[in-house]
Amino acid sequence: MGDVLSLAAFAPEALVLAGALLILLLDALEVRKLELFAGISLVASFGALLLVVADLGFAPLHLLAGVPASAIDLPPTTSALWGFSSLGLIFQAVFLLATFLVSLGSLSRPSDEKGSAVFFALLLIATVGMLLAAIAADLIFLLLAIEVVGISTYLLVGYTRRDPRGLEAAMKFYIVGALSSALSFFGASLLFGAYGSTNLTVLSQATGTVGYPALALIGYALLIAGVGFKVTAVPFHAWAVDVYDGAPDDVTAFLAGGSKKVGVFAFFLVFIGPLTILDRPCASAACATPFHFAPTLQLALALLSLLTMTVGNVLALLQREMKRMLAYSSISQAGYMLLGIAIGTSPALAGATFQVFAHVFMKLGAFLVVAAVAGLGIGPLIEDWRGLGLRRPWLGVAFALMLLSLAGVPLTVGFVSKFVLFSAAVQAQGLFVWLAVAGLLNSALSVFYYARVLRVLYMESPDDAPAPTPPSSNGLPLGGLGYGRAAAIGLCAVAIVAIGVYPQPVLSAIQSAASHFALTGA
Amino acid sequence: MFPILSLILATLLLGTILTFLSGERARWVALLTSVAFLAEVAGLLGSFTGWAGAVNGVPSFSAQESYSWISISWLHVNYTVGVDGISLTLILLTAFLQIATVVYSWEEERHPAAWFGLLLLTCLGCFGVFIALDILLFFLFWEAVLVPMFFLIGYWGGPRRRYAALKFFVYTHVASVVMLVALLSVAFYARAPSLDFADVARAAGSGPGALVGAAPVVMFVALFFGFGVKFPIVPFHTWLPDAHVEAPTGGSVLLAGLLLKLGGYGLIRWGAELLPHAFAIATPLLFFVALLSIVWGSLVALAQRDLKRLVAFSSINHMGIVLLAIAVNSQLGLTAAVLLMFAHGVVSALLFMVAGSVHHTFGTRDLASLRGITPTTPMLSVMTMVGALASLGLPALISFPAEFAALLATWDRLGYWVFVPLVILVVTAAFYIWMMQRLLFGPPKGIPEKAHDLPWYEAAGMGMLVALIVLYGVLPGLLVNVITNSPVRMLGS
Repeated sequence: MGDVLSLAAFAPEALVLAGALLILLLDALEVRKLELFAGISLVASFGALLLVVADLGFAPLHLLAGVPASAIDLPPTTSALWGFSSLGLIFQAVFLLATFLVSLGSLSRPSDEKGSAVFFALLLIATVGMLLAAIAADLIFLLLAIEVVGISTYLLVGYTRRDPRGLEAAMKFYIVGALSSALSFFGASLLFGAYGSTNLTVLSQATGTVGYPALALIGYALLIAGVGFKVTAVPFHAWAVDVYDGAPDDVTAFLAGGSKKVGVFAFFLVFIGPLTILDRPCASAACATPFHFAPTLQLALALLSLLTMTVGNVLALLQREMKRMLAYSSISQAGYMLLGIAIGTSPALAGATFQVFAHVFMKLGAFLVVAAVAGLGIGPLIEDWRGLGLRRPWLGVAFALMLLSLAGVPLTVGFVSKFVLFSAAVQAQGLFVWLAVAGLLNSALSVFYYARVLRVLYMESPDDAPAPTPPSSNGLPLGGLGYGRAAAIGLCAVAIVAIGVYPQPVLSAIQSAASHFALTGA
Repeated sequence: MFPILSLILATLLLGTILTFLSGERARWVALLTSVAFLAEVAGLLGSFTGWAGAVNGVPSFSAQESYSWISISWLHVNYTVGVDGISLTLILLTAFLQIATVVYSWEEERHPAAWFGLLLLTCLGCFGVFIALDILLFFLFWEAVLVPMFFLIGYWGGPRRRYAALKFFVYTHVASVVMLVALLSVAFYARAPSLDFADVARAAGSGPGALVGAAPVVMFVALFFGFGVKFPIVPFHTWLPDAHVEAPTGGSVLLAGLLLKLGGYGLIRWGAELLPHAFAIATPLLFFVALLSIVWGSLVALAQRDLKRLVAFSSINHMGIVLLAIAVNSQLGLTAAVLLMFAHGVVSALLFMVAGSVHHTFGTRDLASLRGITPTTPMLSVMTMVGALASLGLPALISFPAEFAALLATWDRLGYWVFVPLVILVVTAAFYIWMMQRLLFGPPKGIPEKAHDLPWYEAAGMGMLVALIVLYGVLPGLLVNVITNSPVRMLGS
């Protein structure tokens, strides 16, 4: 690979980073206009999104640089720090989509707000970290990229500096994040000790050739815990709800719909290699040794997934605040993604990836609705939303669609993701059928609390709802909703239905990427 | 071939959307849609060449259409639709009940656009279930029925509507989830090339992945549970009385008339036809559950004071007879089961309309506090009588040929066990006659001053159903001729 090519291939990352720097520069020059910052953020994320999608479909960047399109999905080398896989590109597209939607929604923030430059700059820097994580071919590179995301999001959670709840959430997030990084890096160092490399390809092949020292098992266990914190897997989830609850609503949308998904891809990169060893012909005598830990890893991931879904769902049932309910439901959704990783076949990977994609519209959209409703002066309790669907029909319909999609009702994107994921589980046969049953029963359980919200929205009379206090005088149009937020919510709602009805283009792209990924191992 | 099924689906979809958007004029749009739907179904019936027969053992259907929907390396889902005599009969029922319900609830005042839109959406979902010949498509429509019914009960229902709506949703959703896993297991274990009904049936029956041993029986039992909750079978029936009592009249009519039929249809098409051998092995279980539901539903109905609960429990009893006839698994049995589903759909719809009219004419449905309503409301009394007599199986009314055929088929298979449902039929007759005696005759009691007879739209809605009850009671051959060749195809000759 020539240097020119490398630079050209980094165009999306460069564009987003340039956006962040431009915003900081303008801030330093005392040009402080929220619309301007949001515009830069929108252009940067949308431009990068176009580049990534183009890369995925036609590989023009590589063509421009005089290298054939097959540069994507090359069998990974054993010394590379990064490599372009189509699955990684799909994750990049998902991340950029999340950034785009959050930027759009943030157009409706109070325009005289202090620190809006910081908000958008941090948003874009976090995005750069996410984009880098999606092209990692080395464990240390991956963990560093996640660290970039981590540090920017800790700051994002507390950026308003006035709200004590936000500050407390930021502090909590930071401490837990630091712990999780420590665990991950320690795990990586143990793997280096066991196999002499941190390259992901070397690691995934090593389990088949070098063997399975106990050191490596401990290393992988630490990585499960470390990355498990990032994806809010139970029992590493305790921080998530307080943080989601305390963070500004737009930031919560970004955390749940965007940055959390970096952890999912990290799971892909670290674990799919060792797991698919199970399917490969045995290369050496080492495979025959009794201490073959791939099934152990698989079992651990399956249990983690079951626990995550169930605990998330049960606790969501008990919540009285909308934001906390959505936060717990976000934990349970992470369980479904982990299910795909535990199964480890390419259909399951496709299912988990589609779930990540779907989650952007459902969960990010739902938190944007929370932001919008808070802007209308309505309280945080689920009860406070009484009759909202009747008073604000369009907002109500959009939120209802998001909830139905989260519950997995047909003709929504959430249904497609669950259908593909559970079909993949059944297709893998054996014990996985029971995992599918457990997952589906869980999804039936989740219907309880989504239906309860629908009931509040539509079946309880708005008359006895407390009169909403008019939103503070920030001069928002559309009765406090704001055009940006309305547009972002509308986009999510339309996508939920459109992709739910005709998922074929997205699904086939994801499936072919997942097949490549499972084949090459990284 | 002309895509008539897609055309009907598009008509319903367009009509539903327009109804939602047309505010106060929604009832007219809904009526227009219903008339168009009925006309198209009549056209479908006219062009039904029927009896396409089995081609090389592959089930084939009329008016079939198939387009690729999702196609990735390991998962092929098609939009495949088609009808046979069984589904066509139930589609006809859907069209009749839709128009009758729309007319009956003509003066609905609370959010008429949403009310009529949700009614139409429910019927759309049922129509979809009856035409879908692909696992995903089938499941999609199956679930699509839940959402509008949830809102119909939860917004327009009685005092405990929220509890009832939630219970209904969760019960039936859990059941459909189990059904989905079972169907997917059949498809993937049998290594079917796509999720189409024909592909799955062929792969499960013969071929490299043919299902043998205990696995298909486990899958069938899971399917039976999934469909059974909709039936509903005892002991998974408890959602039904709650849902019915709290549902608004239109919701009850569609719930009893159509939604329960989804269970019966599902069991025939996606249970008996998909896994015939497992079905044969599980037959004793089906007989047991059927007899239990028949006895239980009838005895509990006897103890009800609320007219609506009475009709709801008698539904459990009648659907038990449907299950019995399905389990017999003969040509006569299957024909009787479908005929009985049609009959029960029309009769229970009429009875729930009666219960609704009694409730808002007299302010109560309590059989103990209401007496002798005939002088005040002669027309309502006539409707009540026709419904009750049809339900207890009076000859020349629609249930009679169906129940007679069902019992005859049971006799062929089970011998003297047929006396269980026969004795229960006497009990059923008893509680209907007792109900009529208390409600219709004797000195008037508990009748409010302002009570007046049925408004024209309620009378018209019920009148349509009465006409159907008499028409098909006298000429059951009209339906039997449509149904009859589908069981032949399913069972082989």
